[in-house]
Amino acid sequence: MTDKAYFCIAVTVYGIGMVYSLFLWRRGFQRDDWTAYSLLGSGFIFQTISIAIRAFKYDPPRCPVTNLYETLAFIIWAIVGGYLVMGLWQRLRFVGAFASPLLFVMGVFALIPGMDPDVLPGEARNYTGVLGNLHRTLGALALGAFGLSAVAAVMYLTQEHDLKLHKFRAILSKLPPLQRLETAMTRLLWIGFGLLTLGIAASAAYHFQPGKGTSLGEPMVVWILAMWVVYLVLIILHWRHTQSGRRIAWGALCSFLFMILTFWGALESHLNY
Amino acid sequence: MAIVCLGLNHRTASVDVRERFALPEGEVPMLLGRICGETSASEAVVLSTCNRVEIYAATDGAGGELLAELRELLLEGREIEEDVFYAHHGMQGVEHLFKVASGLDSMVLGETEILGQVKAAYQLALEEKRTGSKLNRAFQKAFNAAKLVRTSTNIQRGSVSVASVAVELAGKIFDDLSDHAVMVIGAGDTSEKTARALLSRGAKNVMVSNRSFERAEELAEELGGRAIHFDEWEDEFAGIDIIISSTSALHYVIDRKKLEPMQGLRQHRPLLLVDIAVPRDIEPEVNFLEDVYLYNIDDLQSIADDYLRLRHEEVEKCEELIRGKSIELLETMKGPLPAREEGGLDETAEGGRAAQMSPS
Repeated sequence: MTDKAYFCIAVTVYGIGMVYSLFLWRRGFQRDDWTAYSLLGSGFIFQTISIAIRAFKYDPPRCPVTNLYETLAFIIWAIVGGYLVMGLWQRLRFVGAFASPLLFVMGVFALIPGMDPDVLPGEARNYTGVLGNLHRTLGALALGAFGLSAVAAVMYLTQEHDLKLHKFRAILSKLPPLQRLETAMTRLLWIGFGLLTLGIAASAAYHFQPGKGTSLGEPMVVWILAMWVVYLVLIILHWRHTQSGRRIAWGALCSFLFMILTFWGALESHLNY
Repeated sequence: MAIVCLGLNHRTASVDVRERFALPEGEVPMLLGRICGETSASEAVVLSTCNRVEIYAATDGAGGELLAELRELLLEGREIEEDVFYAHHGMQGVEHLFKVASGLDSMVLGETEILGQVKAAYQLALEEKRTGSKLNRAFQKAFNAAKLVRTSTNIQRGSVSVASVAVELAGKIFDDLSDHAVMVIGAGDTSEKTARALLSRGAKNVMVSNRSFERAEELAEELGGRAIHFDEWEDEFAGIDIIISSTSALHYVIDRKKLEPMQGLRQHRPLLLVDIAVPRDIEPEVNFLEDVYLYNIDDLQSIADDYLRLRHEEVEKCEELIRGKSIELLETMKGPLPAREEGGLDETAEGGRAAQMSPS
């Protein structure tokens, strides 16, 4: 079986997870969610196999983040991996129910024809070595952490809305308390920001090597620095307690949505620069 | 063989009648002795709580006859205008015991306190050597059934009192109550109960503010907290995360105008306001402020009612489990099995009398 076939199976499993999460949503999250956890766990196994096959297809083997398909697949993998760790805590297991729709949509988007060209674009061909691989891996893991943070933000906003409006389901559901969701959300922001910073540092180090050069005006560089600033502002706002948890949650959610919606354009222009 | 139950509870008897039948714990051994000595019962357990007085007894003779003897014994020296007793024997007696132990017959459906009371009553009879193989097996099975009901259904899920709903709400907002300060404004009965419930769930820092400072001091001492003068509670506001308000003030004690600037001092930490006063102490508009969650007495009661409704939806499932356990018990007991009537009720082989005696 090809790596793509394994990825398709994983996306299908995430799709089943999404349908199941709709069922949980309708029921008001009253049950402990081992089913969603197991579904995402099995999807993660298929996706790990897919990524491993893809990594070893290259000569020499490399972190498979060279085009949109691979990058999205890697981000999904990072989100699920992070969730599987978080889900070990019973009250954070519901993150999976909120994450599966996002994973499924991202997976389907990655599978759109043309996202995975046979020939590597110029920049991707060149972007090799330890620093190149480190940059890609850290960047994709950072996006995964921001994605999980956005999922925690959706949970926070749902719970906050229900508590404000005195909905019975707020008290009936097994969702974690607001403060724990806020902590999870902001810790993920910190982790994502740290990874992104290290990824940018790795990229800078790569470009400082003799014979390599980059333009600060390149769209991908501008985009990535802009995202870095956005997340820095969010973290500072939270750290200095100048904004409520609800606003930070909206910030985490909107930043991630903006990032994921503009990411493909920035990456495409970067790969073909 | 028959197991019978004769008793009265909050449904059949008013509190003034229940008072007349209530048995102090010291009198129970004597009653147990009389039941086993003066009636045809070979074993007996007496359950006496504020909501019920029940005698469970076992006999090798006729269940109907024993019930009549128990009734006579209970009525001795007491006058009542109407029959407040219910009587069960055979399968129905066992089912009743299982329902009582599981909280299905309680005033607050599904409450758990009764199981402890049933256990204590059984323990007392055991110590007095008034139980034998029949009641031992029946009570052990009852505890077993109560556990099954608790673990396999939602009959005990959620809070059905205003105080415990407030605690549950706090648990939905705050991660760990031990890190959060609670302020009680107005030292009323419900606010005291709510504060106690919060303390039982880990809250440590409690402040009490009341118009009468003596009363505030008194309650603060009971709760292990500290008293604040009524005109000084706002000074403590920055450190408070939960406020329970129940003053008798005719105007708002906390309004949006007052709260909005104070919120800035709290660095956007969530604030739970529980207003159990009528007329209300807290202006409803404060719920529009960010990080503020306001619940008044009606909101809390509505949640408690919703929980109770959920519990009622579970009753059928519980009854099915109990029926299964009752049948299991009766099948393991020696002697002829009671014949089952349609609808799950029974007549003992020797009885020939309806399983449930209607009050006369």
